[in-house]
Amino acid sequence: MTEHEPAAKTATGPEKRVILELGSGNDLYGVDYTKAACRAVQDALHHSSIVLFRSLGFDSREMRVQVTIGVQQPQQVDLAVVAAELPRGRAEVSAVHGGLDVHDAEQGTTHVIATAAIEAFVPIDAAQWRLSAPD
Amino acid sequence: MAKKRVVTQFGMGTSLRSRNYTEAAARAIRDALWHNALNVAEAFGFPKEAMIVDVEIGVQRPEAVDHDALLKIFPYGRPAVSVVKGGLDIDKPGGASATVVAHAAIVVSFDMEPAHD
Repeated sequence: MTEHEPAAKTATGPEKRVILELGSGNDLYGVDYTKAACRAVQDALHHSSIVLFRSLGFDSREMRVQVTIGVQQPQQVDLAVVAAELPRGRAEVSAVHGGLDVHDAEQGTTHVIATAAIEAFVPIDAAQWRLSAPD
Repeated sequence: MAKKRVVTQFGMGTSLRSRNYTEAAARAIRDALWHNALNVAEAFGFPKEAMIVDVEIGVQRPEAVDHDALLKIFPYGRPAVSVVKGGLDIDKPGGASATVVAHAAIVVSFDMEPAHD
């Protein structure tokens, strides 16, 4: 192969999901579904670090980030605000019915809980890589 | 040998009443593992058994951690455990015992290289 190989490696190959990150977040007193969703995203993000970008020379700008938020009132989630929580890659955010609302009828309060599922897709050509031979 | 790190996972676990450092560490490992579903092996076309799994635990009493018990948690791959002094112990009211906090960092690597060079 030529010395241009590393650049070709990052730019080619079918998109593969490398990780699914899961998190939950809540808003206890504000009934703010966007805030709960943002906290869920932060929880999901910070249980892992995708270090292969550095170690293998992949470009994180080529990563597609698919975010699915589950809350009881998905139409109340500001998707642009949630998308701004994603520090790398191209984020696409959608909200579906899910999560959990914990209502206290006596006090008239509701705690809202959001689920975040973050899928990272990276173009990887498996043919460009192999396991090293054992010593 | 070209050991390349691909993903690091983080978790926290506790032992609230029994001051069990192994249990706190085990919960930290599960917290780290079960927040993430990894597809890196299949993305590169490698068998899951090729995953090198280096586990770093931080607790206040490293000598009290049963390494073999922690290794049994891993469903696949080649795990190895190291424990350092870290985490946090917080005295209970009265000071008779302590609540234990453990941290886990799980580094997933492959011994891999470019196929053509």
